[in-house]
Order: sequence, then structure tokens, then C-alpha cells
Amino acid sequence: MTKHRYPTSVPRFYRINQLAGTLLITVAGLFGFAETSFGAEPFAGRWEGAVHIPANEQILVVDLSPDSNGAWTGTITMPGLSLRALPLKDIVVKGDEATFATKVVPGRGMEATFKGRLSDGSLTGNFVQGGNTAPFELKQAGPAQVEAPPRSTGLAKELEGEWQGEFQLFGYPRKVTLKLTNNSDRRAAAEFVVVGKRVNNLPVDLVTQEGSLLTVHSHETGITFEGRFRKDGNEIRGMFSQGPVEMPLILHRKS
Amino acid sequence: MNNRLITFLLLTIAVPGLGQAQSMFRNDPAHTGVYKGNAPREFHRVKWRFVTGDWVVSSPVWADNTLYFGGDDGNIYAVNPNTGQQVWKYSTGGPVPTTPAVIDGTLFAGSYDGKFYALDSKTGQTKWKFATEGERRFEAKGIHGLQPKNQTIPDAYDVYLSSPVVVDKTVYFGSGDGNLYALDVSSGDLKWKFKTGNVVHASPAYADGAIYFGSWDSYFYAVDAATGKERWRFHGGEDELIHNQVGFQSSPAVANGTVYTGCRDSNVYALDAATGKEKWRFNNEMSWVNATPAVSQGKLFFATSDSSLFHIIDAANGKSVQKQQSKAYMFSSPAIAGDVALIGVVNGTLEARDINSGELLWDYQVEKSKRNEGWVLTADRKFNFPLQFYSNWREAPAAATVRQFNIGAIFSSPLVVNSVVYFGSTDGYLYAVE
Repeated sequence: MTKHRYPTSVPRFYRINQLAGTLLITVAGLFGFAETSFGAEPFAGRWEGAVHIPANEQILVVDLSPDSNGAWTGTITMPGLSLRALPLKDIVVKGDEATFATKVVPGRGMEATFKGRLSDGSLTGNFVQGGNTAPFELKQAGPAQVEAPPRSTGLAKELEGEWQGEFQLFGYPRKVTLKLTNNSDRRAAAEFVVVGKRVNNLPVDLVTQEGSLLTVHSHETGITFEGRFRKDGNEIRGMFSQGPVEMPLILHRKS
Repeated sequence: MNNRLITFLLLTIAVPGLGQAQSMFRNDPAHTGVYKGNAPREFHRVKWRFVTGDWVVSSPVWADNTLYFGGDDGNIYAVNPNTGQQVWKYSTGGPVPTTPAVIDGTLFAGSYDGKFYALDSKTGQTKWKFATEGERRFEAKGIHGLQPKNQTIPDAYDVYLSSPVVVDKTVYFGSGDGNLYALDVSSGDLKWKFKTGNVVHASPAYADGAIYFGSWDSYFYAVDAATGKERWRFHGGEDELIHNQVGFQSSPAVANGTVYTGCRDSNVYALDAATGKEKWRFNNEMSWVNATPAVSQGKLFFATSDSSLFHIIDAANGKSVQKQQSKAYMFSSPAIAGDVALIGVVNGTLEARDINSGELLWDYQVEKSKRNEGWVLTADRKFNFPLQFYSNWREAPAAATVRQFNIGAIFSSPLVVNSVVYFGSTDGYLYAVE
């Protein structure tokens, strides 16, 4: 079994951060605000430790924080599995127990649930993934650093509307239709349809515009279109990618 | 005694006398994968298991009441099938993930050391060795979408070496050097070689004077067995993007004038043995077919990798008869014995299925797979991808593949003799179950 990589470093780090946390709370108290979750709410903060999968121990970092409405938000990071700031869902804190799960889409991230109990400054419990169960143990290591997932930006008026193009994949043509709009909250949305042997309506979860660069993500399918808008040709010239496969794709405004 | 009776007796005696029954990959030169007798419809016990020093990818063969197989530990083994005790072993200079052929007292097998061996099957003594132009695995830039895209990367899924077929005093086998070799069985002298454009790790099949085999150059070939002259070639799919949907890793089976082969382009092809003309294709929607189809009673039996399906299709027209979902990749070629199909699964399970319905009759999971160290498998024995394939960079994908395969994967094609099933596993054991 792999040796636990934390025992020597975590307590020292924890002690330093506990001291820092105490100072922060003290200062915050002086200025009359206490939104710093670390210390104020026992589950809030950054938690560091490990999940003891047999012959595959993994470093685990959990960030938990209540938002302004009191609802919990959180992320997990597992560097050994190349997971960084994976959002959490179904966070329930009750007494000295907390449960939460990873929020993933098919093919991306890792579906897992955690059920832990707080005792003597440690959060210990079970990690369940793929039907397998292993114990985890975490110690508080500072204030929470929950990363908000990226959000769609607004789109310039000239990009709104319906665009069409075609590319070849394994010798077969694929027809692409991309319909871009701005929602009432002034954030972009897209309908992304690829027609090959069958019609694929791709679930788009992120659309961004940075200058002339447009990016459309469908994380669930692993498909991305990234292209540059050219005013002169009234086209978006870019690449359609699905995982490692990239194909040039030029979209023209539907006439 | 009348002439017809004499002929009948001669045939009866002559067939096993050819030394071909159960003594080469897929049982016969045409690789039909059909074995005499019945396989058990219920699992009773592990009769014995024989330990080696590394993976056993090779499929065992049977000749003269002895089992023979290769080990990735570099050895070729002869084992007593009754006791599971070693009779002899022979050390080569590299892994032996190939299935030996044993004919008339001689065992033939290749090794990753680039040499092809002929051994005395009774003693394991060397009769002759033949040096090929050298072994290698299939490789390509950015294969399967791995990074860096412009770096040549060996294919971790190229797990087999070509298994020899022996007909008319000639032994035929493919090589990573791109050649299909024909050697004289007595001397090891080269009769001819046929150059293809890439690795040949599929095993050649023989029927009606022709040798049939596929190459990783995306072509399937028929060459004259006597002269090595090309009769025809068939072009499979290409994949210039990530080199994933290309190449023949599956070995062909030949029956009733038709060649059946799987392909990494996700098709199973039925080709006219005389002309190479496509009769039909069965598409598996991006899922490789690395298993060699078995042919029995007008039906084709094969399995897929990614989609993990066991298929029964009509050999005449390629229409689906039955399909059943398994739990993990299948590279192993199904063996048909009686009304049972046996197939290995990469998750470390041997499956026995009814040949009419395809339904699971029983399965046997090796102990290493049950231990599931590192959670390679989910609780229901599927591959646990998030815990294995978490990075596309450095050697992580290859390491993930090795972790998967180390679970006790059964790449070996089962052998059935006297209702006992023999197969190898990457846990290092050769198993006898009944």
C-alpha cells in the first residue's frame, strides 16, 4: 500500500493556519463582520487529507463555504487524479455530519459521494465511487477557496443568429448548425446541431466571446468549437474538436 | 473390408494424425474456433492453476496429452493437463504473447526477441531458430489522441504477437517487421516472405491453398500459400487523425469460401475468399473488433472492445441474431464447444455463454480481479475510468492501460478439451477450470 503523504506536513500546516484563522476572526470581529467561514461555521473552510483507496491512496482537498443565502457551495481537488476544483453538489450539513457529492457530466470528472463526521477538528468518513467504498480523513487547513465555475459572456450583436458549415470525420461529412443568442440576463446561449449518420443536438453549457474569438463548449459530449469572427467574410473560421480529434470548420451566416 | 470402410477409418485416424486438432491457435488452420466435445454449462471448480512469471496472453494448445503456451516472462511452457505440473520450459529472449502450434512433434512459436523457434515438443530442445527483421509494436504519432500529438507513441493495446499456422510442411506467421513469413518446418529455411506496410500481429489463417491475414497498414491480404504471390488485397478503414480506427489486429476465420475478420475500424468484414470482394460488413460504431470470430452452424460469434458486446450474427448475410452486454473490453476470441461459447474479458473474468441466446451461463473471476487493488474496477466489474485515465500526458495513458490489464485480464482464447477449459490470465496463471 502507498504511504500516506500527509502525516508530517498537515499538522504543522494546520497549526499555522489555525493561528492565522484565529487572527483573522479576531480582526474581523473588531471590524464588525464575520463572513469568514473558517472558524465561524465548523464545516466551512479548506480541508486537506487523503482518501485511502487500497493500493491507490489519493490526496484530497475539499473547500466548503456557505454563500450569502446560507446555501453551501464547494469544490474538491485531487491532484493524483488530475482533478482541480471539481464542483460539489447536494451539500448537506446537519449537526456534526456532512454529506456531499461531485457534480460532473458524463465523460468528465468523477462521480463520487462523501459522508463525513466532524470530531476533534478532523472530518472523517467514507468516500464512495463506482460502487466501491474507502475511508477518508481531512483536517482543516485554512479558509475555503471555492472556485466559481466559468460563466458564459455576452455576445456582440454581429455574432447573433444562425451559422452553418461542414467538416469531414473519418471520411463522412458532418453538417453543423450553430444558433447564437443572448439571453435575458445578457449572457450567451447556443443551439449546436451536428448532423452525420444521425442528428446530434449538443447540450451547450458555456459560450464565451473575447474580442473576435468565439468559444462554444459542450462539456457533456467533449465537443468544442473555437473560431475567430471575420467581419469582412461574415464567417467564423475555426476548429471543431471532440476530445483529441480536431477538424477545421468554417461557419457562414445562414442566408 | 470394403474400400469405403477403409477410407472412413483412414480419415478417422488421419485427422488427429495430422497433429492439427487443438494444437494451434483457434484449433484449426482456418481458425474457426470450434472445439470437439462439450464445454461445461455450469462452473464446478478450478481444477488447477499453473504459475508463470508474468502475464499469460498466449492461448494454450493441446497435443499428445500435453498443454503448450507462451508466457510474457519469456518462456514457452509444456504442462501436464491432468496435474498442472510443468513438463518443460524453454527460455526465449523476450515475451511470448503468441499461441504456439504443435505439429508432428515440433512446437513453433515466435517471441518479442524477434526470433521464431522450432522446439521438440517432447523435450523442449531447440530444433532451429529463425531471425526475423525484428519485432515491434504498432505505433503512431499521437495515437488514440494522446499527447504530444507529434510524438510517435507505441500502442499499449497491441498485446499479441502473430500465432503460427502450419500446413503442408510450411509454417506461416506474421511479424512486427511487416512481413508474413513462410518457413520450411524441418529446416527453418525461408520459403518466401511477403512485405506489408506495417506491423502484422494478426495470425494468418489457411484455406484452399491461400494464406489470409491482415496488417496494421489497413490492408487485408490473400497470398498464395505455395509461392507467396498476392492474390488480392482488401482496404479497411483509415484514420489519419488519431490512428485509432485503423488496422487489423483481429485474425481471420475462413469457412465456406468466406473470410471473416474483425478490424480496428470497428467493422467485421465478410470477404469472398477467392476474390476479396466484400460480401457484407457489420459495423460496431467505433468499437474495435480485435477478437477473431468463431464460425459454427452458419453463425458468427465475436466480441467487441469498447462497447463490450458479445454478438451472434448470421454468417451468410451479417444480420444480427443476438447480442449480449458484457462488462468490459473483450479481445479474447470466443471458443465454441458444444452449445457453449467461452470468452475471456479484460476485467479478469471468463464467461460461458449459450450459443443460441448468447446469455451468460456462468462466469469465473480470477482472485486478482476480485481484490480490485487501486479500484481498477467498479463494484460491478466495469472499468473505473476516472481513477485510471485521468491524464492524457506523459506516460499516464500507457500506465493506466497497464493498470487495467494487470487486473487479471483474460486476453487468451480458451481451449476446451474433455470438458475442461484452459486459459491464461495477466495474473500470471494458466487456469484449468471445469
